[in-house]
Amino acid sequence: MPEEQRLERLAERLRAVDPAPPSPGAKIRGWNLVLVAVEQSAAVRPRAHPVRRLVVAAVAIALLLGAGAVAASADSLPDSPLYPLKGVLETGRGALAFSSSDQLAYRLDLARTRLTEAEAMIARHRVDLAGKSLNALDDQLKSAALLVKAVGQADPTAATRLQDELRQAVASDDRQLAGLQDQVQNPAAAAAIMQARQRALDALKVVEQPAASPSASPGSSASSASSASVLPSRSASLVSPTGTP
Amino acid sequence: MGKAASDDDRPLIERVRKGDQDAARTLYERYFDRIYNYVYARLGRVEDAEDLAIDTMTRSLTRLDLFREQGVAFSSWVYRIAHNATVDHYRRHGKVTLVSLEHATPSESADPSELAVEQLSNEDLRAALRDLTDEQQQVLILRFFQDLTAGQVADIMGKSVGAVQALQHRALGSLERALQGREAN
Repeated sequence: MPEEQRLERLAERLRAVDPAPPSPGAKIRGWNLVLVAVEQSAAVRPRAHPVRRLVVAAVAIALLLGAGAVAASADSLPDSPLYPLKGVLETGRGALAFSSSDQLAYRLDLARTRLTEAEAMIARHRVDLAGKSLNALDDQLKSAALLVKAVGQADPTAATRLQDELRQAVASDDRQLAGLQDQVQNPAAAAAIMQARQRALDALKVVEQPAASPSASPGSSASSASSASVLPSRSASLVSPTGTP
Repeated sequence: MGKAASDDDRPLIERVRKGDQDAARTLYERYFDRIYNYVYARLGRVEDAEDLAIDTMTRSLTRLDLFREQGVAFSSWVYRIAHNATVDHYRRHGKVTLVSLEHATPSESADPSELAVEQLSNEDLRAALRDLTDEQQQVLILRFFQDLTAGQVADIMGKSVGAVQALQHRALGSLERALQGREAN
């Protein structure tokens, strides 16, 4: 067979090779890392005129040492020297969340931040820091669950709405953790993720448990029963970390 | 590969520069799978390919200031970053072989016309491809796995279309010899 014909056949065979798709977990992990990087790079402002820059720099230099570090810390990751400052900022934010709805949003936002940090740390092979972020994620979800439970004792209607928000957040985090669990190779990281998923589900159960008070009024019992009847159908979408429903 | 992707990318790139996460997501969705495929074909290891594809997308979407200076399509720029990341990876971890098969002598018993290309598995093809030189791998992966035109490949590799066509011809010859060598073994 002439060379040209042989090579054309080979080229056709190469065209027929199926593409190898990336794992969904890798794609999610990649997007989270890209998102963090894009947010950080967007925070960098374009350069001003050199003279003006000099003046501005002279005025701002003292502020940059303090406020600049604070601003930069907002996007820092657990392996950054600025990370402890991020915790201080977050605590300050929490002090400004007055209503139960704001407080829940604050807790769920922090949980989501911890999850993103855990993914970034796993990608950087810092399993120790990833484990800490996952623990902090679960702590936030547990705090959120306790908040919803406390609201339920005073205002069952409001609690039902908050409970729904919490459920959705836990389900969303669980999906992301499941994707991450599927693609990590490190056994310690996989175990930490599995534990985090289980603890997240446990936090949800805190809300599902009816109030223990024997003197609960018929009205409050009814509200507990009503919210409990909603829970199983919604939380059924969550799969336990070990794969069993 | 979307042939008009470079035109569609421009408004998205401007939005990403302003910190628009939705635009970044669209570009990520548009390129991640392609870049993963490219890197996987080069390296043959899923974990490494995932890490390098993520690294490539992170660099692409956060160093858009550098992209402006390159004067090429965004897609070409992303592939160039992926290529450089692959070369860096080889440098750090070592490559199995860098021997050019361009002038390799096929085994005496091997008859080129006997190579049953239709019966070759995808993995055999990928593995044989990784025996080629960097440039030969690059041109074959971009032309046939990524389905790019010779013009697009020329843009990515910084060569003329004629040079890409000549390189492609030599690369196919080298691949045929690599496959014959594998078959003989």
